[in-house]
Amino acid sequence: MPKHVLSCTVNDEPVEVLVRPYETLLDALREDLGLTGPKEGCGTGDCGACTVHLDGQPVASCLMLAAQARGRSVRTIEGLGRRDALHPLQDAFVRHGAAQCGFCVPGVLMAAAALLAENPRPTDEEIRYAIAGNLCRCTGYTKMVAAIAEAAGVGPVREGEP
Amino acid sequence: MRRFDLILPSSVDDCLRVLAERGPEAKLVAGGTDLLPQLKNGLLKPACVVDLSGVAPLRRLERTDGRGLRIGPAVTARALERDPGVRSDYLALAESAALIGSVQVRNLATVGGNLCNAAPSADMVPPLLALDAEVVVAGPRGHRRVPLASFFVGVRRTVLAPDELLLDIVVPGPGPGSGGSYLRHTPRRELDIAVVGVAAQLTLSDGACAKARIALAAVAPTPLRATAAEQALEGQPVTAEQIERAAALAADAARPISDQRGSAEFRRHLVRVLTRRTLATALERARG
Amino acid sequence: MTMKTTREVKGVGLSIPRPDGPEKVTGETRYVADLTPHGLLHAKLLRSPYAHARIVRIDARRARALGGVRVVLTAADVPALKRKAPTRAHAVLAIDRVVFVGQPVAAVAADEPAIAEEALDLIEVEYDVLPAAVDPLQSMQAGAPPVADAGTEADTSEALAHSGVAAAKADAGPARAANVTQQVRLQRGDVAQGFAASDLVIEHTYRVPMVHQGYLEPHAVLAQWDRAGLLTIWTSTQGSFNTRSEVADVLGLPENRVRVIPMECGGGFGGKIRALCEPVTALLARAAGRPVRYVMTRREELEAGMPAPQVIIRLKTAVKRDGTLMALEADTILESGALSSAVLTMSGVFLGSLYRWPSFDIRGFEVLTHKPSIAAYRAPTAPQTTFAIDSQMEQIARRLNLDPVEFRLRHLVREGDPMANGQPWQGHGGREVLRRIAEHPLWTSRAEWSAGGGTNGRGLRGTGLALGGWIPGLQPTGATVRLNPDGSLGVLTGQVDIAGTNIALAQIAASAYGVDIEQVRITTGDTDSAPVTGLSAGSKTIYTVGAAVLEAARDARRQTLEIAAAEMEASIHDLEIEDGRVTVRGVPGRSITLAQIGKKGNLYMSKVPPVLGASHLAFSLQAPAFAAELARIEVDAETGEVTLHDFVVVQDAGRAINPLGVEGQMQGGAVQSLGMALTEGLTFDEDGRLTNPSLLDYRMLTAADLPRIETIIVEVPSPAGPFGARGVGEPPIIPAPAAVANAIQDATGVRITELPLTPERIAMALLASRASSSPSAAAPGEVSTR
Repeated sequence: MPKHVLSCTVNDEPVEVLVRPYETLLDALREDLGLTGPKEGCGTGDCGACTVHLDGQPVASCLMLAAQARGRSVRTIEGLGRRDALHPLQDAFVRHGAAQCGFCVPGVLMAAAALLAENPRPTDEEIRYAIAGNLCRCTGYTKMVAAIAEAAGVGPVREGEP
Repeated sequence: MRRFDLILPSSVDDCLRVLAERGPEAKLVAGGTDLLPQLKNGLLKPACVVDLSGVAPLRRLERTDGRGLRIGPAVTARALERDPGVRSDYLALAESAALIGSVQVRNLATVGGNLCNAAPSADMVPPLLALDAEVVVAGPRGHRRVPLASFFVGVRRTVLAPDELLLDIVVPGPGPGSGGSYLRHTPRRELDIAVVGVAAQLTLSDGACAKARIALAAVAPTPLRATAAEQALEGQPVTAEQIERAAALAADAARPISDQRGSAEFRRHLVRVLTRRTLATALERARG
Repeated sequence: MTMKTTREVKGVGLSIPRPDGPEKVTGETRYVADLTPHGLLHAKLLRSPYAHARIVRIDARRARALGGVRVVLTAADVPALKRKAPTRAHAVLAIDRVVFVGQPVAAVAADEPAIAEEALDLIEVEYDVLPAAVDPLQSMQAGAPPVADAGTEADTSEALAHSGVAAAKADAGPARAANVTQQVRLQRGDVAQGFAASDLVIEHTYRVPMVHQGYLEPHAVLAQWDRAGLLTIWTSTQGSFNTRSEVADVLGLPENRVRVIPMECGGGFGGKIRALCEPVTALLARAAGRPVRYVMTRREELEAGMPAPQVIIRLKTAVKRDGTLMALEADTILESGALSSAVLTMSGVFLGSLYRWPSFDIRGFEVLTHKPSIAAYRAPTAPQTTFAIDSQMEQIARRLNLDPVEFRLRHLVREGDPMANGQPWQGHGGREVLRRIAEHPLWTSRAEWSAGGGTNGRGLRGTGLALGGWIPGLQPTGATVRLNPDGSLGVLTGQVDIAGTNIALAQIAASAYGVDIEQVRITTGDTDSAPVTGLSAGSKTIYTVGAAVLEAARDARRQTLEIAAAEMEASIHDLEIEDGRVTVRGVPGRSITLAQIGKKGNLYMSKVPPVLGASHLAFSLQAPAFAAELARIEVDAETGEVTLHDFVVVQDAGRAINPLGVEGQMQGGAVQSLGMALTEGLTFDEDGRLTNPSLLDYRMLTAADLPRIETIIVEVPSPAGPFGARGVGEPPIIPAPAAVANAIQDATGVRITELPLTPERIAMALLASRASSSPSAAAPGEVSTR
């Protein structure tokens, strides 16, 4: 089975990489491009740990074949924020203690970032529905929702360490 | 997943050529939200997968004359959920699309996939049935039109031959005085699959019900129209008693099984409850 | 206990975010599946499709011939495997019999996962299918298909990790009735007399299905051998030393030839306290001569993980009409799956001695079935047992028109009262949490909430609460604290940091030694470098490892002060540590910096030793930890859907070392508890096959299903915990099933005794109660009223 050349944009950089026909986008990101931020929690689109942006929209990358990303723009958690500065969502998650084991966090942040890009001042319910496709087993979601609300300017600011 | 060849057609004709050659050993993929889990579980082991994402015409969503709708099979659930035209005149369809999976799934899942995968619980099917939709099928013998009500033949089985492609979904405009609603029951608010789904569409004329459509998901091997319930409503004003009676008839029409998502008895009960609720909402929307 | 510092250091009691936060939110944290060393091979396991079968023949030739396949192993290739596997890890590959669907039968390592999967298809296995014991109640009967060979030892290691409690009366003798592998009986007083003298008897059978711990990161292992025959394992685990012992035992290696490196663990909750996939991955790596990585699929996790047991409790209680407790009788059945391992006695202790029953007769049975063997799940058996006893207490209070909080307070055990196994209860904060939750406006305004329900019978409103307690585990452990040449501290433990405990340990070290938290760094060592450390489980990390760190920090402080005393020719009793220096009280200007002391310990020809505080502790004093939870709900009477409007957790943390971390534990545990209450359960068909092997049908709660989880920390210090701390990880998973069941009864009048409390159960119960209701009938479960 011949490989395909996948040409697309990943985290704002043009990318050309050989992918197997039966590889998912998640596999290609993790194994071929070394972007191990997106995770496989279930492989069937039921947990959200693999969430990346496809042309700005949150998608389950475990359900896409890598080749289906040709000509499109993909953003992973590694492309959220800059090397020298955390994205406001990331910073809020740190201060709120919203990450415990951390496995679901890249996916949650990508879902939240997509929400705020489109709906800068979401209600509590809108936040919860925006991350409802992301299962978290450690935190119970409460601190995540508070962190997202803070980053959106609709919730109270939690001070950093004393 | 096991290994397979991947073919990337860029036009409908390309696609039909591939299917003519390799149809029986090939599977089509658009959003992948039904196909990939089946590949990963080993339920399907195709030698070849054909990716439709490069065939642009399949993604078109258009309003046609007379306020009808043409939906390309690769239109995503998310697009249907949010399109203003769909929301204004085909609200039940938008509602059903909005309930699927999660936002990450809806951005990939397609209406064509929902139809062709033909799960009894497919959410977008009941509203389309309630709107008297038809599908256009392309194949080596040309195009044919199939009423959606005849499209499904069994669990995960449609009338499509291995060398055929679903080309379009045609939804006639419901006309003035029409309203619809879709409700489903799930144990969770997101990431879930319908235990029962009900779509109702009512068209009123001179205060009476000119047309009633009630379609059920997950209570039979295929999505189902509750025709006895529809006929009981048509030709009369829609009252609470009429709605209750229609709900009971819809429950009778259901042929649910008991599985780990729900017992037959509960499903029948839900059909009654959800039919009553969707009819009440459809009535409100038809009037307003 | 209190440390003499002249000012407060930044340490214990502060809500400091975890230092690994930044790397987690950028995706930089590495888990096992993120490791791709050169030459990596991918492993897949062929698993049994039958719950019980004899293996007649395995033919792997076609699989071995597939291009890209490097190794195929069956039991025949590993002759040293033990015939009677004492633990799951020992059951590496089935020898001649399979005892659960999903049991590994063959293992493949290949260049790509897709090739490994195709290789599995090419392995031919002929099975002789045997009858399977799938229902625990049937499995207990004579003539049931046998699961284990008669005479297999019961594995009480799990129980022993919860030491004091389980050391009691677990009868681990040879199996008597076919698949009953452990039996226990706890008795007190004369129950017959108690029943005879009572006015109200209530009897119910409570059922909680097997549930999965639900960690988002599936089990994952990377194994590699070096040329000297040393095995290195990178694994997602809650206990690197435990894993090392098990792997060494299975492979027949000395423990110091195995190095276990615990990677960041993407959730464990008890499902990763034992080795599971490490031995088979190691065997593949040895056969291949290359590193091998095995990551379980989610389907494999659900079908063949190590879930929590199914628990069935028949509970019968007798009271007088003034609320006096008279007698309690119970049969508890714990379904352990294919291997004996249940924590049997704990359940009986909670049933009989959470409240002060003057007489009780409790029988416990561990039953084997042809299903995957269980492991622990956050407070093992406590949520299920509390579901039973708290539901029962609530019903008694309702029936007698007694205030539900006062009724529990009246009968809750006190310090010194005997537990069901005879040991005395230690002091606890159960009363404090109960009183605190009863003051909450959600409780005090519950009548208004109920009155505001929908008029069309849809929105039935109710409020319910429940109390749960846990007796955390104990395990010996050690730690070291050293002073660096720049005056900072390095703390070394073997503790896998799952619950954010590292920051709390750093706070303990900071406060105990006398420096600010910024000066302290915690390192989690692997099994080569760290002191032998116990499991990150059982709510015992802060209690035990925290105590070890405290001891080591005190030791380091003592050494530091001794050196300073000698250098400054002062008495050690006049010395203090503040602002990074050792000062002499009352003599300003006389000081030596910690950095100077640290450097002296590292100077060529210096006579000053390096400061290295060490501790090694074993524990015997337990600190019970209680939590109370309250649920405010609305029920759609027609569909049975429950909307959870508000939820509160009140918990006694003893002393909250890091309140932010404690809140996180409370919220996470509460949501797991709510999942058990509302949506979760592993469902098996009559052939022992799991019918919901995906996260679509094994339903964990989403953010859209939940309200904000409100947390209230109460502090009733424990005598032996560091700074009075108690374990906080487990109590919050306990009360929600009972609280929600109580709320549903409050809203609808129906009492449901089987979990999960699905919409179907609620809707059908409401339909049934309407069909049969007559005002004078006793509620289901009541036997007599005088």
